[in-house]
Amino acid sequence: MAVLTFEKKYRVRGGTLFGGDLFDFWVGPFYVGFFGVTTLFFSVVGTALIIIAAAQGDTFNIWRINIAPPDLSYGLALAPMREGGYWQVITICALGAFISWALRQMEIARKLGMGLHIPFAYLTAVFAFFTLNVIRPVLMGAWGHGFPYGIFSHLDWVSNVGYQYLHFHYNPAHMIAVSLFFATTFALSLHASLVLSAINPKKGLPVATAEAENTFYRDLIGYSIGTLGIHRLGLFLALSAGIWSAICIVISGPFWTRGWPEWWNWWLQIPIWRGL
Amino acid sequence: MALEYQYLFTRVQVRGPHYKGLPLPPGHDVRSKGGRFSHLLGKLGDAQIGPIYLGHLGVLSLFFGFIAFEIIGLNMLASVNWNPLLFVRDLFWLSLDPPLPQHGLKVFMPLHEGGWWLLAGFFLTLSLFLWWGRTYRRARALGLGTHTSWAFLAAIWLYLVLGFIRPILMGSWSEAVPFGIFSHLDWTAAFSIRYGNLFYNPFHALSIVFLYGSVLLFAMHGATILAVGRFGGEREVEQAYDRGTAMERAGLFWRWTMGFNATSESIHRWAWWFAVLTPVTGGIGILVTGTLVDNWYLWAMERGFVAAYPPIATPDPYLTGAGR
Amino acid sequence: MRDNTTNNTLLALGGVGALIGIGLLFTFERPPIETVQGGFRGTSMGQVYNPRTVNRLAAVNQVPPAPEPADPGGERARDVFQNVQVLGHLSVEQFNRIMQVMTEWIYPRENIADGCNGCHVPGNFAAEDIYTKHVARRMLQMTMALNSTWQVHTQEVGVTCWTCHRGQAVPAYVWSQQPVSSNGGGFATGPGEQNRPGRQVGLASLPNDPFTPYLWRAEEIRMQGRDQHPRPNSRQSIQQTEWNYALMMHMSTALGVNCTFCHNSRAFSSWEESPPQRLTAWHGIRMVRDINNTYIEPLRERFPPHRLGPLGDTLKVNCATCHQGVYQPMFGAPMIRDYPELLPPPEQRRAEAPAPGWVAGPRLP
Repeated sequence: MAVLTFEKKYRVRGGTLFGGDLFDFWVGPFYVGFFGVTTLFFSVVGTALIIIAAAQGDTFNIWRINIAPPDLSYGLALAPMREGGYWQVITICALGAFISWALRQMEIARKLGMGLHIPFAYLTAVFAFFTLNVIRPVLMGAWGHGFPYGIFSHLDWVSNVGYQYLHFHYNPAHMIAVSLFFATTFALSLHASLVLSAINPKKGLPVATAEAENTFYRDLIGYSIGTLGIHRLGLFLALSAGIWSAICIVISGPFWTRGWPEWWNWWLQIPIWRGL
Repeated sequence: MALEYQYLFTRVQVRGPHYKGLPLPPGHDVRSKGGRFSHLLGKLGDAQIGPIYLGHLGVLSLFFGFIAFEIIGLNMLASVNWNPLLFVRDLFWLSLDPPLPQHGLKVFMPLHEGGWWLLAGFFLTLSLFLWWGRTYRRARALGLGTHTSWAFLAAIWLYLVLGFIRPILMGSWSEAVPFGIFSHLDWTAAFSIRYGNLFYNPFHALSIVFLYGSVLLFAMHGATILAVGRFGGEREVEQAYDRGTAMERAGLFWRWTMGFNATSESIHRWAWWFAVLTPVTGGIGILVTGTLVDNWYLWAMERGFVAAYPPIATPDPYLTGAGR
Repeated sequence: MRDNTTNNTLLALGGVGALIGIGLLFTFERPPIETVQGGFRGTSMGQVYNPRTVNRLAAVNQVPPAPEPADPGGERARDVFQNVQVLGHLSVEQFNRIMQVMTEWIYPRENIADGCNGCHVPGNFAAEDIYTKHVARRMLQMTMALNSTWQVHTQEVGVTCWTCHRGQAVPAYVWSQQPVSSNGGGFATGPGEQNRPGRQVGLASLPNDPFTPYLWRAEEIRMQGRDQHPRPNSRQSIQQTEWNYALMMHMSTALGVNCTFCHNSRAFSSWEESPPQRLTAWHGIRMVRDINNTYIEPLRERFPPHRLGPLGDTLKVNCATCHQGVYQPMFGAPMIRDYPELLPPPEQRRAEAPAPGWVAGPRLP
C-alpha cells in the first residue's frame, strides 16, 4: 500500500534543495528530505511545548486551552516561559515548521517535474500568519499583540481586535478580503459542480467533454473561462483572500488607531461634493 | 523558473472561428448570434465571449432581478431627496431597511415602512428561483449532471434563512437583513452582539471552517493543476477516467507531502462539499440564533468550552444597588 | 497591434490604480503608535493611540491657571450682595473669585466688564433681566450636584464650568434633535434617521440620534439575553441593537477609546468580564440623563430661539460635551480641587441625594 502501482517510476533521486542525497528517501508514503527532518523537529518541539504549556494552565479541555502571548510590558523582549515565553517559542517553532514544509513541498515539486505553484501558494498563508504574529506585533512594539494559541481564546482575540476599531466591517481591506473569501468559495462550488456534472452526466449519457462544459457556461452567463483559466482564477482569488486578510490586520493598529467607520471620512471630504 | 512558463497566463492566443456550442435538443430556444474575442480575457482564460442562451427563464429572471435592483436603488435615491451627487457620496451608507418591528409579519404595510423592502425581497427571490431553474434546464439540455443547481440551492438556502425563514420563526420581518453596503454590515455586527457573540455558535464556527477550507482547497487545487499544466493537468474530466502523468504527479505530490491524495474526480467532490457546506451550516447557525439560543456566550459557558481568564469582576450595578 | 492595445489598456489601468493607491496611502496613519493593555494578556483588550493625535488633543485640553485661593472666612456673600440665591454661603472673597473665573471660562473678553455683561445688567448686578443669568444659576446648581451626588462618575476630576464651556458661551459639543433630512417622496426607507454618514456615531451608517432614546429618555440599553435560551417578553430586536451600537459608537469616539475600554467584547453584557471603567460609564449615562432632564431641558422656555435646536428642544449634553475626545476630561486633571466654591454648601451635601423618577429603575435579573 505504501507504493502505488505506478509510483515506482516516479521515485527517483534528485531535486533536493539541501543535503544532497542524504535525506532523499521515503518513509511509507511520506517523502522525507532534509526539510522533512526539520519539519518534524519543529513540529515535535512545538507540539510538546503546547502540551507542556497546557499542563501548566488550568485545563486540558481542548476548547479552553489558552497559551497567551506576553504582557505588552515585555515589549519586543523575551518573556519568562509561564508569562508568554511558551507562546514565543511556539511561534518560532510554528514558523520553522511552516517554512520547512514549504521547502519540502518545493523539493517534492522539483522531483516530480512540477511547477512551484503549491509552495508559493502555501507561503502566502504562512505570510498571513507571519503578518499576524510577527510583523504587526513588531510594528506595534510588543509581542503581546499576537493572537493566543487556543481554539476559542483566539476567537476572543479576534473579537476584541475587531472592537478595538469599533466596527471592523468598515475596514476596507477586510471588506475586500471577505469578498474574496466568498468569491473563492463561490468559484470553487461552480468549478467543482461543473467537473462533477461532466463526469457524472444524466443517466445513460456518456461522460461530457470540455466542449459541453464551455457550452454550459456560455449558455448560462455568456462566458466560459475554460479548464485552465478556472484554476488560474481560483488560485488568484484564494491567494488574494489571504493577502488581503494580512493587509486588513496589519493596517489595524500600525496604520489606523481609531474606529474604522471614521476612515471613510476622506471619501466624504472629496471636494466634488463640498457644500452638499 | 521564468514566469512565462508557469502557466499563470496564456502566452500565445490562437484564434479559430467562434465556437457555437453543442447543439441543443429540440424544444429549446436559440442562442444569441455572434460574439467576440477579448485579448485581455484570453490572457487569463478563454478569449471567446458569447454566445449566450437567454430563454424564457433567463429573461424573466433578469427582469425580476432588475425590478428588485430598481426598487432598492430608487429607494436609496429617494432617501437623499433624489440628489444624484449625494447619492454617489452616500451610496455605501444608504439602505433599504426591512419593516419596522411593529409590523410583525404583516404582508401589507405602508411602502415606506418596509413595504418596499418586502417587494424587493419578493422579486429578488423570484429572480433567484427562475435562475435556479435555468441552471437545471441548461445542464439537462446538454446532458450534464445537475450539481451546479444543488450547489446554487445551498446558497439560496442561506439567503432564505436570513431574509425569510428566520424572520417568520421570529415573528417579525424586522429581523431580516437590510439591502445596503454598510447597513448589512451593521446588521451583521448587531446580530452577533444581540445574540451574545456568534463566535460561540458552533454552526457559525463550522461555516467558517468550510469557508476557509474552501479557499484552502482552491489554492491547493488551483496550484496543483497549474503546477502540472505542462503535462495537461487541466484536462480533469479525461483524467478522471483515464489517468495520465499529470494526475499521477499531482496525486503523488500530495501523497508524498501529507500521506494522502485525492484523484481528479474526488478532489472535486471534496471541493463541492466544502463549498456547499459553507452556506448550509451557516444557514443552520443563523436559523437557530434567537429561535433556540438567545445568548451564545452563556450557551457556551453552560457547555464548558469558553476559555477562562483571570477575572476582572466589576460589580454589577444592578446587583449592588447602585442602580437605585 | 492587438498586443499594443492590450498593453496600453493594462498600462492605463495600472496607472490609474497606482494613483488611487498612492492617494489612499494618505488616508491612513503611521507607526509608531502607543498601546495600553486593558485585560489579560492575549485577549487584545486595551487602547491603541496615535501619539501625534494625543499630542494635539493634549494641547487643546489644557486646564487654565487657577487664581490664588480665596479666604473662606469673613462675611457671607448673601449678606453683602443682593439676590444671591445659590452661592450665598461663600465668603465675599470666594464669591468674587468664582464670578471672575466664570467670566474667564464662559465670556472671556479683553475687558472683564464686558464679560460680566454676559449675564448681568450693567450697573445692576442683582437684576434678573438677562436669560443667561437664570441659566447660569441653574448650571451652578447642576455643577454642585455633579461634584457631589454624581461623584460616582465625576470622581477626583470633578466638574467646573470650564469642563464643558472652554471659553465659549455655548459649549462646543452639544446636541439637539435634528429634522429628518429626507422627504422620501413616498419612497422613504428606514426608521428614524439612519443609513447616512453619522458624525455623532463615528461615521457609521447606524442611527444618527441615539441621544434622544438613551440620554434624554431612559430606554433600555441592555440588548443581550440574560439566559442562554429565548425568554418570552424579553426580546430586543436587531434594530434596537443598532441604536444601542450607535450610542456606544458615540461614547467611544467622545472618549477617544475603543469598545474594550469597558468591555471584553466576547461577552459585552457580562459584568464579570468587564473592566471597572464600565461602571463609571454606566453612572455617566445616568448622570447625563439627569443633566438633560433635571437641569437643561426645563430651561427651554428661558432660552431665546437662536439658542435652541431646529426642532425647538434645548442644546443638550452627551459624553463629548465634557470629554471632548479624551478618556477623562482634560486628561484627568483634578481641576475641582482648585475650586471649592463649586462644591455644594456643606449642609446640603448629604441632603441632596435625589432619586429622579425618570431614571430606569433597577431591573434585577
